[in-house]
Amino acid sequence: MRVLRANPLTLVGFVLVAVIVLVAVVITVAPHLLTPYGSDAPTTAYGQAPSWAHPFGTDSGGLDIYSEVLYALPFDLVIAFAIAGIALVVGGALGLVAGFWDRPGTASGVASVVILRITDVFLSFPSLILALAIAVSLGRGVWQLIVAVLLTWWPYYVRLVRGETLAIKHLPYVTAARAAGVTEGRIVLRHVLRNVLEPVIVYFSLDIGTVLVTLSTIGYVGLGVNYPITPEWGSMIATYATAGITTDPWTVFAPGAAIFVTVLAFSLLGDGLRDVLDPRSRRVLAGAGTGGPTSTSPAERQEEAAEVSGEAGELPAVPLGEGSPAP
Amino acid sequence: MTDAAISVEGLSIDYVVGAGRFHAVTDVSLEVPAGHVVGIVGETGCGKSTLAQAIPRLLPEPPATIGSGRIVFQGIDLVKVPLWKMPALRGTGISMIFQEPLNSLNPAYRVYDQLAEAVHIRRQREAGRSRVDPRPPPPFDYSRRPAPEVGEALSRPIVPAGATGALARKMRERHPELRDEVLDYLRLVRINDPETILELYPHELSGGMRQRVMIAMALSEKPALLIADEPTSALDVTIQAQVLTLMKELIEEVRTSILFISHDLGVIAETADELGVMYAGRLIEFGPVAELFDAPRHPYTKALLRSSPTRYKSDGPLSSIPGAVPNLSRPPPGCRFHPRCPIARPVCRAEPPPALLPADGAGPGHRSACHFAAEVASLP
Repeated sequence: MRVLRANPLTLVGFVLVAVIVLVAVVITVAPHLLTPYGSDAPTTAYGQAPSWAHPFGTDSGGLDIYSEVLYALPFDLVIAFAIAGIALVVGGALGLVAGFWDRPGTASGVASVVILRITDVFLSFPSLILALAIAVSLGRGVWQLIVAVLLTWWPYYVRLVRGETLAIKHLPYVTAARAAGVTEGRIVLRHVLRNVLEPVIVYFSLDIGTVLVTLSTIGYVGLGVNYPITPEWGSMIATYATAGITTDPWTVFAPGAAIFVTVLAFSLLGDGLRDVLDPRSRRVLAGAGTGGPTSTSPAERQEEAAEVSGEAGELPAVPLGEGSPAP
Repeated sequence: MTDAAISVEGLSIDYVVGAGRFHAVTDVSLEVPAGHVVGIVGETGCGKSTLAQAIPRLLPEPPATIGSGRIVFQGIDLVKVPLWKMPALRGTGISMIFQEPLNSLNPAYRVYDQLAEAVHIRRQREAGRSRVDPRPPPPFDYSRRPAPEVGEALSRPIVPAGATGALARKMRERHPELRDEVLDYLRLVRINDPETILELYPHELSGGMRQRVMIAMALSEKPALLIADEPTSALDVTIQAQVLTLMKELIEEVRTSILFISHDLGVIAETADELGVMYAGRLIEFGPVAELFDAPRHPYTKALLRSSPTRYKSDGPLSSIPGAVPNLSRPPPGCRFHPRCPIARPVCRAEPPPALLPADGAGPGHRSACHFAAEVASLP
């Protein structure tokens, strides 16, 4: 928490994401707390500009835009998390395997090459175009949408995780773990994966925003879900933009703003997570937040003291734990 | 023979890069008697680190290939052991200390977790529960290599328990006995205030402290053979002296067999019982340290001693060896040192010298690979 306070933008991202998730939960379990109108339930006001009763106006069919945007939130979030999450797990696992066991001439080396060439095939198409093409061939619908985006999404995680794995597996601490008798499987899971995780989680949280934009884009060109039966921001914008952006311009404002704010929130969170997850910057940030000891760690102090007296073992204790105040 | 902690016989290692072969180690035979410290010196690129990493099979194969030879450890030829079985022999069998203390600890884990992993591995082995090698406890004779004795002063807790950290607390509750042992080993390597150090991440430790933690990790597995690959090279001089003092003290206390790799003659002189000198991938001289320093039987050893300040040579200008280290993808024919050798003759160009032979007039166990070993003594 101290870390979050150290960087205001991280805090903004964290709070925004928390609020977004909270709203999504509330609108799912108890919608009447946030809006008097039900999902897909027309009011008697048709094509009304924003007012106190309808903060973002209503559309020509009488739907309250504010309520519709809220009702779309859980759907958009769950889909974005599902796509990025499945891509992370599947792509990440493949990337880890392809990166760690890539010795040419062995069975695993061949498997690694196969994984990477399949990845290349998918990467050779622009992902949005490929997703659109798959969406067209599958038709409209929720599952079709997920499959279309997912198929174009996993290769990036393969590449990311493989690259990180390749960099980490040659570091001395992996060799040191091997020299200590740690088995290969345990090295992958405990020593390599733990250090790959950090950039991957950062990428994942940034990626949520990208998935949202892609989903909206597919919805916008009319290939997504069927609005207003299933509320979804991209499809909302598409529907209203064709229905009457000149007569009721407020109808597209709210879903557009919702996309913007959500993507921004996850981007800020991702940037902040980068600092939080790195033990190096974690201590520094935490120290900066409280004004605690950062420039000299207890160990360094002990070492310096040892140099002076020449014998570490006879020194008086330096009782400094983390978070103790600076002397 | 049976008394050797490890014996390397005629080992050759090549690096295959593209179409070229780089002969990093050629026909090296070496033995570390149980309980002895054997030093290996040589300049950068002479193959000493390759040799060190080849013994526990840590070299990436490929590009490295072990062309010929045997590495006999506890009656097993490690060259023939499939790589997937090697983890069972590493750690408790052969452990290693590396030269980069900066990167040899995993930055993501606290000191406690890294040490606990090593202690845990050893306990699993002792309990015969290794998944890789489910044999009952390995046939190591622990009685000959007693557990490190932590002196009474050292085993007294210096700081009352009170270290923080959620993960360490959790682990401590789960394995309280692991924690005590981890603390013992931190005290063994003279780390003051181990309770605090336990909770720190590697980046919060100085280089000397990290190397102490590395040494503690290696020793906590009670290895039959410890390979120290330039453990002090990356440290600055004062810390180097501290770590070296520690190593010397530990050698006395722990009584394990050690293969000590270094390019620093002074370091070797202070630690090793026997010394091997490597040049261009070959072991060219081997013998008891004092004798090898006093009466080298190979012109390269002699030149090496003259070019560095040790307690065996403390006056007069230091000399350098003319010429440069040969390219090991096309080593010179005959003796590899002949282009730089002051006493080279036609036979040195034509024929490689015999593998290590007892030198004329030298003490027992002192062997050299030179056609004219007897003449070296007369060199300036």
